[in-house]
Amino acid sequence: MLEIRNLHVSIAGKPILKGIDLSLRPGEVHAIMGPNGSGKSTLAQVLAGREGYEISAGSVRYLGRDLLPLPPEERARAGLFLAFQYPLEIPGVANAQLLRTALNGQRRARGEAEIDAFDFLEFVQDKLALLGMDESFLYRAVNEGFSGGEKKRNEILQMAVLAPRLAILDETDSGLDIDALHVVARGVNSLRSNERAILLVTHYQRLLNFIEPDRVHVLAGGRIVRSGGPGLALELEAKGYAWLADAQTVAQTVAEEASP
Amino acid sequence: MIALAAYRDALSRIEAPPGLAALRRTHLRKFLQAGLPDRQHEDWRYTSLAHLEHMPLHAPLAPTPALLALEAYPGELRAWLDDRPVQQDVPPSAVLGALADVIGAGALPAFGSLAPDSALARLNAALWREGASLRVPAGERLARPVFLRFAAAAADAMLHPRVFVHLAEGAEAILVEHFLGDPGIAYWQNPVTEIALEAGARLTHLRLIEEGPLATHTGLTAVRQERDSRYQALNLTLGGRVTRHELGVTLAGPGAEARLDGVFIADARNSAEQHVRVVHQAPHGTSRTLYRGLADGRGRGVFDARAEVQPHADGSDARQSSRNLLLSPQAEIDVKPQLVIHADDIQCSHGATVGSLDEDALFYLRSRGIDTAGARQLLLEAFVEEALGLLDAAGLRGWLMPRLLASLPRARTVEVRP
Ligand SMILES: Nc1ncnc2c1ncn2[C@@H]1O[C@H](COP(=O)(O)OP(=O)(O)OP(=O)(O)O)[C@@H](O)[C@H]1O
Ligand SMILES: [Mg+2]
Repeated sequence: MLEIRNLHVSIAGKPILKGIDLSLRPGEVHAIMGPNGSGKSTLAQVLAGREGYEISAGSVRYLGRDLLPLPPEERARAGLFLAFQYPLEIPGVANAQLLRTALNGQRRARGEAEIDAFDFLEFVQDKLALLGMDESFLYRAVNEGFSGGEKKRNEILQMAVLAPRLAILDETDSGLDIDALHVVARGVNSLRSNERAILLVTHYQRLLNFIEPDRVHVLAGGRIVRSGGPGLALELEAKGYAWLADAQTVAQTVAEEASP
Repeated sequence: MIALAAYRDALSRIEAPPGLAALRRTHLRKFLQAGLPDRQHEDWRYTSLAHLEHMPLHAPLAPTPALLALEAYPGELRAWLDDRPVQQDVPPSAVLGALADVIGAGALPAFGSLAPDSALARLNAALWREGASLRVPAGERLARPVFLRFAAAAADAMLHPRVFVHLAEGAEAILVEHFLGDPGIAYWQNPVTEIALEAGARLTHLRLIEEGPLATHTGLTAVRQERDSRYQALNLTLGGRVTRHELGVTLAGPGAEARLDGVFIADARNSAEQHVRVVHQAPHGTSRTLYRGLADGRGRGVFDARAEVQPHADGSDARQSSRNLLLSPQAEIDVKPQLVIHADDIQCSHGATVGSLDEDALFYLRSRGIDTAGARQLLLEAFVEEALGLLDAAGLRGWLMPRLLASLPRARTVEVRP
């Protein structure tokens, strides 16, 4: 479903991702962990199509297509979804308006009929219930004045409405209370199926107790320095910073060898 | 050089009302002495009217046969084409009639006293023709909005629409002024509207500049408010090559309230200027000025607003907010907010920003599958919406929004990253 090969990305001339290889098959859930600043969000944003990154080498294939030339909206219409680490506030645009415009944009692109306001409301009410969100959230401006946890829930609401093939969740668990964590996990698990894949960026084992990953990768210094089964997350949790320090050392050494 | 002959000729063909003939001549003489305002004048430093001096301007003799189609208006309509009334089948009423008739009958003592002595206001005072008068008796509330439509159809026409509005004590009305013209011709509209609101009167006033792409519009609105009256205005500039609106509001009686909202869009090579002057003369007046500006292409916008709180206007509350978006590297918007305070116990604030469309917000929307044009549209709609609060109360949203949305700058083709 997703094939990342030797991906090198820099920002303003500064290399951030230094050769990422990663592949996800339909039905799989992968977790990416790693220290702050290691490049996790950069990878997520590049996959979603944000401009301003220099892709100096490598390739990304998604559902058999070359992903990188596609503008963000086409990626979304092809079923790729990113839950932002820092969801944006968009004053003046109601949540319902965003959701319906996005859903209909995607439906049109797939040659499906647009959904009218009435059917949409019914459809979205189910999703709200699943996520324990009040209907009033629909009529508020997108994320404006939302608490940190409400913004994360709102990302999951968008995901639930758009039902993506590949969902990338960038630290959706950060800043959530225990109940909200359950809710987010429920949202993600409700989407799990043989046709979909999920990439979870997280700092904590906690989320992985509720959404069990097939693979766990550790990203450090712009590289995946270790990959393993679900046990790797537990190992990380147990060995903590010492282990991460090692990972960083490994990455730094590699980086220093690479630079003249 | 001013086309003296054109102005004199226009004056020579105006008869009504007879009592004003001498005054008109005085106004024209003073205008011709001063000439068109130029950039030396502080209030005109952004605007050039030099092109008017090169046009064969004239006051059209008769309405051009190429009548602009009259679209439906949700209210009571009076329409003018090239300064001539076109809807003769509606009988004038005591409330809504021709200004020349009303003045001829000796009414409207305040007529002419509200507009300032500026060159263009003088020119209008000299050359206006039938004009419109809206007078609402004390305590009455007009059930439907009144629409005044001023259209231009003759090339090189110079038009001077004149409106006088008087709301007696406690009267209420909704007024819409709509300025437009044939998109294929150059012309000049120089309207003046005077508005007198007696104690407790309430006027909602929507003023829509939707001139053709070759048109010049130099409009002026002068408002005087007595005790506890409320003036709510929405000023929209959606089209015109050179457009300028001067809005002067005097809070003359205590407790008067003015809400001045506006949206202006300057695209192509157009310039759109807003000059707002609010004078708090009496205690406990409230003024709110809230404008949103958009400039695209090589468009140029100006938001120049001054609120002045005079001595003894204690307890006044004056606020200004102006947010502006530049949608292209060559677009420009100049903002000049000013507060001049001479009284005590005042609440004042002003904020003015000029920025560009939020790229992060655009990406966020696109990442949900909304294309660039759609995402821009959503953001621009949200941006102008902040200034459109009056539409719902006035029941004019349905009439205005299609026009406004059609005027929002379209998304240009975007580069797709390889
Ligand atoms: N626009 C930018 N300009 C310069 N540097 C940037 C920019 N965006 C990201 N970086 C840098 O790229 C590196 C990777 O950032 P990224 O946000 O991908 O890290 P992360 O792994 O998501 O970290 P965290 O766990 O804190 O979210 C950081 O050093 C960051 O400072
Ligand atoms: Mg991050």
